[in-house]
Amino acid sequence: MTEHESIRAMLALSAADALEPGELRRVQQHAESCEICRRELHAWSLHAEGLRRLPQPMAPEGLMERTQARIMEQREVAAARRDENRMLAALVAFGWAASLATWALVRVLGGGSLQVFGANLVSGVTWSLTSTVLVWMTAAAAATMLGKRNQLRRSYEQVS
Amino acid sequence: MILAAAVNPETYSTADDEIARLKRCDPEALTSFLSRYQQRLYRFLIRLVQDPALADDLFQQTWLRVMQKIGGYDARARFDTWLFSVAHNLAVDHLRRQRSRSLDEPDESGMVAADRLASSGPDPFEEFVESERAAMLAEAMQELPAIHREVLSLRFEEGMKLEQIAEVAAVPLSTVKSRLHRALDSLRGAVERRLRGRRSE
Repeated sequence: MTEHESIRAMLALSAADALEPGELRRVQQHAESCEICRRELHAWSLHAEGLRRLPQPMAPEGLMERTQARIMEQREVAAARRDENRMLAALVAFGWAASLATWALVRVLGGGSLQVFGANLVSGVTWSLTSTVLVWMTAAAAATMLGKRNQLRRSYEQVS
Repeated sequence: MILAAAVNPETYSTADDEIARLKRCDPEALTSFLSRYQQRLYRFLIRLVQDPALADDLFQQTWLRVMQKIGGYDARARFDTWLFSVAHNLAVDHLRRQRSRSLDEPDESGMVAADRLASSGPDPFEEFVESERAAMLAEAMQELPAIHREVLSLRFEEGMKLEQIAEVAAVPLSTVKSRLHRALDSLRGAVERRLRGRRSE
């Protein structure tokens, strides 16, 4: 590729101010002595100038307000979800605490033994297993109820 | 921004404070940011998707995403570059789903968005020639692939540096350069076709 050809390939980017300083110097030096490249560079410059003056689209009226309203709504939904998660965590913690307190109470009242279907219900292992199952079932039921409530709320919002 | 901060620490701390307020979703800060970037972001989106209703929706989605991710935003980076990269990702995802094809193919819609773009007002008479050229360029630009429209808009309308464009589009600098070169070539070709068409009429 001759110097003239390689400079021609750089003219578009030169008009777009997208050349390295060294490349730009080469283009300028060449254009001073080459009428063809000077004209071509001028043509590209007109295009670049036109691109800076394109008809401007105007943002629709109320776009900013609608966007702000959606952001606030999203924030409220996120806050409600955080509250629900905290409530679930508190419920689980309460379930464990209640289970532990009941276990201690039953042990004291029953003298360390409570036989149900031949198993000692207040032994550490049996009580832990039973209470784990009960607490997780309660948490699952609460999560399902909260989920259904959110689903209903969303469908009401879509209708309204 | 870092350089600006070195020159004027007060400017940096103000910008930093604004970002901190935006992170807290302070309504005043939110209004200020929305208003500052409203025209630029909408213009960028409409150049990219060429559909006012879609640009409107993507504008809102962009800000929703920005507010979700603002916690992870590094205030030392340029906010506009980050904002436009969020918008770019959403728009590109949408275009890919909608068209199921590459974004470097020309738009097949044949829409002349210049017809749909509300001009900012009548041009003064002395700028008639320039505005004619600009209108023709705007029409010709509609024929280009989305990625070419994007690079032209970011370079010439947003005045972004090539490094910033690379960050917005998540491509290497060399790709931005070649994309810009191809976009200018295609645009010139489209303008010349239009001029030849007018002469033959």
